[in-house]
Amino acid sequence: MSYLPGVCTFCGTGCGHYLKVDGASVNGVFPSRVHPVSKGRLCVRGWNIHELLSTHERITKPYVKDGEVSYRDAIAKLVSALSSYKPEEIAFYVSPRSSNEDNFALMKLARSVFKTNHISIQSESGHRNSLDVLFKGTGCAGMLGSLEDIRKAEVIIVAGMDITTQNPIVGSELHYAARNGSLLVTIDSRTTKIARLSKKFMNIKPGTMRQVFDAIAYYIDSEKWGKTTIAKYDEYKRYLEAVPFKTIEEVAGVSASDIMFVAEKLAKAKSAAVFFTSGISGLQYDTVASIYNCFALADKIGREGCGVNPVAGINNLQGSFDMGCAPDLLTGFQNIDDAAAKKRFEQQWNAKLPELKGRSVEELLADSKSPLKALVIVDHDDGIIKFADRLKSLPFVAYIGAFTNKVADFAHVVLPITTYIETDGTFTNAERRVQLSVKKCNPAFDVLPMWKLVSDIAAAAGKPFNYAHASDIMDEIASLTPSYEAISHKALAKKHGIQWPCTKKNPDGAKYCATDKAAFVLPQKPYASVQANESYPYLLMLGKAQHYWHQNNIMHKTFIPLREYNATLLLYPDGYVAIAPEDAKKIGVRDRWPVKVVAEKASMKAMVMISDDVAPGTAYAPYFIRDSITSFLLAYGDVVSQGEEATIPVRIEKV
Amino acid sequence: MYLIKRDDIKKIAHALEEKYTLYGPYLDEVYGQCFFDIVNGDTVNVNAPIPTNPPKQVVFPHLEKIMQYKYDKKAKKADIAMLFDDAPRALFGLRSCDLTGLQCIDRFFLGQEFVDEVYRHHRSRMFIVSNTCVVPFKQCFCVCTDSGPAANEGYDINLTDLGDSYLAEVGSEKGKAFIEAFHFPAATDEHAKLKQKLVEKSITMFEDIAVESKAWVSRVMNRVTTGFIKEEIWEYIGNQCLECGACSYVCPTCTCFNINDASTVEGNTYRLRTWDSCSYEGYSRMAGGHNPRKPIEDRRNKRFFCKLSYSQSKKYLRPGCVGCGRCAWVCPGDIGLPNVVTYIRREIHE
Repeated sequence: MSYLPGVCTFCGTGCGHYLKVDGASVNGVFPSRVHPVSKGRLCVRGWNIHELLSTHERITKPYVKDGEVSYRDAIAKLVSALSSYKPEEIAFYVSPRSSNEDNFALMKLARSVFKTNHISIQSESGHRNSLDVLFKGTGCAGMLGSLEDIRKAEVIIVAGMDITTQNPIVGSELHYAARNGSLLVTIDSRTTKIARLSKKFMNIKPGTMRQVFDAIAYYIDSEKWGKTTIAKYDEYKRYLEAVPFKTIEEVAGVSASDIMFVAEKLAKAKSAAVFFTSGISGLQYDTVASIYNCFALADKIGREGCGVNPVAGINNLQGSFDMGCAPDLLTGFQNIDDAAAKKRFEQQWNAKLPELKGRSVEELLADSKSPLKALVIVDHDDGIIKFADRLKSLPFVAYIGAFTNKVADFAHVVLPITTYIETDGTFTNAERRVQLSVKKCNPAFDVLPMWKLVSDIAAAAGKPFNYAHASDIMDEIASLTPSYEAISHKALAKKHGIQWPCTKKNPDGAKYCATDKAAFVLPQKPYASVQANESYPYLLMLGKAQHYWHQNNIMHKTFIPLREYNATLLLYPDGYVAIAPEDAKKIGVRDRWPVKVVAEKASMKAMVMISDDVAPGTAYAPYFIRDSITSFLLAYGDVVSQGEEATIPVRIEKV
Repeated sequence: MYLIKRDDIKKIAHALEEKYTLYGPYLDEVYGQCFFDIVNGDTVNVNAPIPTNPPKQVVFPHLEKIMQYKYDKKAKKADIAMLFDDAPRALFGLRSCDLTGLQCIDRFFLGQEFVDEVYRHHRSRMFIVSNTCVVPFKQCFCVCTDSGPAANEGYDINLTDLGDSYLAEVGSEKGKAFIEAFHFPAATDEHAKLKQKLVEKSITMFEDIAVESKAWVSRVMNRVTTGFIKEEIWEYIGNQCLECGACSYVCPTCTCFNINDASTVEGNTYRLRTWDSCSYEGYSRMAGGHNPRKPIEDRRNKRFFCKLSYSQSKKYLRPGCVGCGRCAWVCPGDIGLPNVVTYIRREIHE
């Protein structure tokens, strides 16, 4: 009877699974058939999670540069080092994979003990943009709808997301809905699998997602199908007047009749939901605003089957923001400048919170003049390696993690922790579902859960947190966070999670965020469209690939997913750039031939992948092949920060 | 043939437990999902529905250490140990589809020129008690694949629920010796006839997918073997594959595996065997980079060539599908085997 129910912790879908746990080893996994989101399915990552959980590549003992030490000595070293710096010199780079309890404890440690607001997670911009727009529009900083109710949407739009590879089980649900009569529309610049499974595919020019959604909204408004009672309608209407509706065909490469078709279906359907990517390659603020406004105008928010739904790429990305792991946030998206909220935290923690304005760790690392001197990194993916030089030059780096990681090589102190199945903890998936993962086994070696380690660090710094169990932390979170008010480990036990807002009045949570106070969110910047030209005739798009999203450290610890990644690498050892067959003919290259991709500011070597998925005149390169692409991407850091919409005009030369 | 009172059925499980590691269906305490795993005489649930995991897990685990080696640098000596496990195992309450699946795996691991020793050890001291499905489960279609609802062979004892008692049929000398010790009353021809009636009734109770697909599995096998299936059909099927590998993992007859060596900090290296799937791109990639089945539709039709072609039936004397329906449960697309049969059949019609 060794199959124990739990939560998959790869992506933000939060599927239910059963792990086969024998003693301290995990020997298999099967899907949960009653889980409300995954309903008996898992993806390639989920089906092989036991390979990660049974890996020998763990950090088993604390160590410093000189060798292994006891936890006590390592913690003492960490505390004395951090205490020797000013708060503005200290930063915490926490992980969107850690549990809510772990991240809350770290956030508390950073702010109440080491007095710094420099705390952030990787992949901030994408999901943060979505949360900012949705919070401004509705007061709910999370998915407005539910993954559980995808099948209830009459119209479903996928906006620029390769959803069957990024969040495959969400993609599966969309496919299920489409098979059972929902109108599935994909708007993208690449022919993805979900595009092939859609009834309507609008293949738009790269970087024109915002214009397309604005054009849909324009038509809904001009036909008077829209809901005009939403706050700020007049300003939004003025904004819509400048939308390039008449020229949309030229701007975005889609026909006006397609726009009108989707607009009419969207406006007249009983329910509709839109899905777009979030996380490291999310959409820009203005694009999310355009999508949200379009759905608000069509009156497709706040009801069953409706929603504006950013889909987080990492398991606890949503939860990390909920836990205030951002320079300007406390828990539940309460702003640190909100005096009342701040006071509650100060009273509860019996500590003054820092006044200092926080900055994100990426920003501090990228800015060579930033005061950063001491950095605590938690369980991180390899993406941070792009800051290797800066990391090496920092006087103090600490690494906290369960698995071996190249990032630990930069650290002066390394502290091991348990994996998520060796302790209790909660994770909040993309649809605000807080799920409890209970301890399933003891670690094979003497390592502490992160929440306990953080408590010990606080105690060593003279400010003990006094947590006896992870559930104590959740109780504290609930007392400080309105949207988590009625959440506790007891309430979550033997349940497939509760979707916040979960209050004492409404302890069962909410499938939909209340939108009675909804307002339009006006985009901030003018349209910026990148055009190809004679010197740089191809528009290069950047994206993810299935088995290796996010330059993922944990994927290195598996066998099957790692082999799948290697299968791509063996074929394209220099990384690849995908182009259409007719373009390959024009350039005079065949599949796997080396090419030089030249842009205005940088160039890179890559191999050609000939693919029908990319339209002529465009090219696609995945982020994940670090060795070849990182320096190129660094030169275009500002463009890359546009996430899914990042577009760079390039020339492709045969070598 | 013996007659066992309902309340006495667990006596068999308890007796097996004394001599064997007992495997059987049980319901998970939290959500009531059924798994086939190590149980005891009290927790085994004879009435449980078809388990989530196929019992191939017992003899061919999801992840298994099959060899261990350690190299002593000073002595220049390698210690190599095969990790065979021949603990006696009893499988209790096996459904006929899963029993047929086990026989398919036997033919692959044991019935060919090369005998898999790791598998042989697992399988060597096994006692099997099968259980007739007097009521089929949703999505079952064993009637189309000649593997149920009652087992014909391969068991030591077969149980059939006759209502107030179970009919126990003996399938081997081992089974005979085991059940004789209980001194259960002998069953008569009337009981055998009643069993037959129940099985016939069960056959009429299958859901549409089984009833509609019936007889077509053989016709589709013919089609697949002779290759007269339009590319568009495979593309339609391939388009719906999200490359998760689930169909292979849950299949009672799938035997593909991958081998990996993993080293511990202490310097031991374990050779691991893990399940593998033809839906993965890396599965068919050859050394040197060539991949004869790179596009997904080529990988997907491979699965159905494997399951539904004559080569499989020549080798194993039956289709490579036992009609358990698990692949349809777990598929993120809509290409479980019964649906694929339907798609191909639709084409034959047109």
